[in-house]
Amino acid sequence: MTEPVRLAILGCGAITRSEHIPAVIAHPGVQLVALVDTDPARADALIQNRGLSCKAVADYREVLGQVDAVLNALPNHLHVSSNLDCLGAGKHVLCEKPLAITAAEARSCTEFAAAKKLVLAVGMNRRFAASHCLLKLVISEGLLGSIQDYDFQYGGAFDWRSASGFYFDRAKAGGGALVDFGVHMLDSVIDWFGPVTGFDYQDDDWGSGVEANFFLGVKHTGRFGDTEGQLRISRTFGLKNRILVRGSEASAEISVHDPEVVVIHRRIGGAAVSQTLRLEKIAGGSSYWRQLDNFVQSIQRGTQPEVDGWQAVRVLELIENCYAHKRRIEEPWAEAGSETGSESRLEAGAEGSGGKQAAAHEART
Amino acid sequence: MNWRNQTVFVTGATGFIGGRVCERMMQAGVPRVRALVHGMHRAARIARMPVELCPGDLQERESLRQALGDAKVVIHCGLGPSSTIVRGTENMLAVAQAAGVQRVIHVSTAAVYGITPPPGSESEEAPLRQTGDAYCDNKAAAEKVVLDYGKRGLPVVILRPSIVWGPYSAWSTRLMDDLRAGQVAFIEGGRGACNTTYVDNLIDAMVLGLEDDRALNHAFFITDGERVTWGDFIRAHMALLDPVPDVGEISRAEIAASRGPSSGLLLGSVKAAARVARGKEFRQMLMQIPLTEAAMKKAWSYVSSLPAQKRERLRARFGVRRAAAKPTRARFIPDAVTEATQSATVFFSIEKARKVMGYEPRIQFAGGMKLVEQWLRYAAYL
Repeated sequence: MTEPVRLAILGCGAITRSEHIPAVIAHPGVQLVALVDTDPARADALIQNRGLSCKAVADYREVLGQVDAVLNALPNHLHVSSNLDCLGAGKHVLCEKPLAITAAEARSCTEFAAAKKLVLAVGMNRRFAASHCLLKLVISEGLLGSIQDYDFQYGGAFDWRSASGFYFDRAKAGGGALVDFGVHMLDSVIDWFGPVTGFDYQDDDWGSGVEANFFLGVKHTGRFGDTEGQLRISRTFGLKNRILVRGSEASAEISVHDPEVVVIHRRIGGAAVSQTLRLEKIAGGSSYWRQLDNFVQSIQRGTQPEVDGWQAVRVLELIENCYAHKRRIEEPWAEAGSETGSESRLEAGAEGSGGKQAAAHEART
Repeated sequence: MNWRNQTVFVTGATGFIGGRVCERMMQAGVPRVRALVHGMHRAARIARMPVELCPGDLQERESLRQALGDAKVVIHCGLGPSSTIVRGTENMLAVAQAAGVQRVIHVSTAAVYGITPPPGSESEEAPLRQTGDAYCDNKAAAEKVVLDYGKRGLPVVILRPSIVWGPYSAWSTRLMDDLRAGQVAFIEGGRGACNTTYVDNLIDAMVLGLEDDRALNHAFFITDGERVTWGDFIRAHMALLDPVPDVGEISRAEIAASRGPSSGLLLGSVKAAARVARGKEFRQMLMQIPLTEAAMKKAWSYVSSLPAQKRERLRARFGVRRAAAKPTRARFIPDAVTEATQSATVFFSIEKARKVMGYEPRIQFAGGMKLVEQWLRYAAYL
């Protein structure tokens, strides 16, 4: 029988508490050795709370000699240095997204892991959602006919209670909505439709802040030819929270909040009908469990993980390109209401919010 | 005072008014804006700007002192639960005075005269009275604290806006939701005084309060200066929807009749359905009474046995909204707070603000509605 993978979790913030710990507890192939947090009380509280038998330490370097692998859930800006430390010590790494703040840093981690022949997996849990796998099948098996375009929206009042509050600090988070949830979206759509070959990006950062809203129009060039897509995220407004893929024969829809099913919409005769598809068999519990399972199997079999460092580099390069070429979303209500605003500006601002302009694609990548 | 080259400290900065204050300060080119942030997860709107997010709590003076830093201008929009309004304001003022703050704009409310202000409260000279409403009475008590600090030398200005509306305002977003759900009625023909205060008009008044020493130690009503009724306000929002929803009329007498004689609250809770009992408003009404699952099940089986009409009356008595709009013939009955708000007869006068500090509402109702419409489209409400 294969020995269990001895694991340390770095960072005891919100995602560790809510997702990683339950996944680790439920996985027979993982032995949790330590919880690491600069605030040892936070790690201790988790151990007490979940009845764990692992130890709590303040510095991950103390436990690297006792583990085979680490799960890195530190705040974004600490990912690179800790990944390099752990890989340097010969440990496999599953790193929460984003792998790094910059593409160059993500590349350095990925190259280092390859040189050391270690597994570097990136936490893109949505790849392991049943609906994600199912949609990939639906598209590639031609159930929708030829793919036309897609619309992906995710929005609601931001309510992520991060323990360290790093989310609104550009230096620590690397950006706002695009980095935070946008990486999931981009990772998914690239997985489904192929590399992005053109884009048009705008967000609502007023300057040296982090965006709460963005509109991103993209063009993929992949095995379905050219596919155009619209992506929108909001941390301030409720949106449709779904992806809708339109094909010549039918459309497929995934609700962000129902990660199990894909709904197919089509017309039979004149009537609009819908059909819910669900995988009959799927391993494990949550997407985080399957992500951990994929990591463990990659270590034990010496195979590539589902999401490796190069895929993260690709997404981060696109994000950097978006930020480098961004336009600001027009907010005519904010301009007209300002001190220098006037009735005439108010009239001038009467047309068009930012969203409609995202349709223009420009090949910049 | 010249506030434009100062560090400005904003409380309530993650809220609707405070959020717009931060934006306006940025647009005015203020060198630094420090925002008091109680719940960091609510800061997404202001985190878009180079605003300094300062964790703190109006209830904890030391945290306020640190958050204030070296700011010499305070715009106090912060609130918290009703019972903490007075102490939070007192803490803010004590910390401001100790730090040598040169101006405090205190955002009060015209509701210091009650949800339905009595005739005679058109001007600021009308005496404050106890209204029995926790929010109104605490906001009135907070004004007294502010004036006390004013007497002791802290430069303070009190603004009393009424229905503050504009982009991001719940008055518009909730109304859109309610219109879609068929949960709106014209109370008394929609003739009630709405006293709209467009958020940028309010901030214009804040700027005047910062600049004009004649405003010190005064309280000012701030509205758009137009006699906009609730009917006008509701109809302007109805017009944005396609198809335009059907909104019926209801009189206060009819509302009273529909509620019937009030039974004891606890007895009422037992009679209410589980769905009703889980409703947020209902929970807020009961507050302290624990609702066990068993009690709710019992209540549910009882209510389920009642005829539909009687069930509907029970639901209406508690002013609880349905989970979703249902095509029903039953008439929509507004809840008590909505009834009180939309039954106002007083249009507040802004003459004092005009005379003392030259306030003139820049954005009128029609123009403001255009901006709200654009924003509602952007925010995916339309």
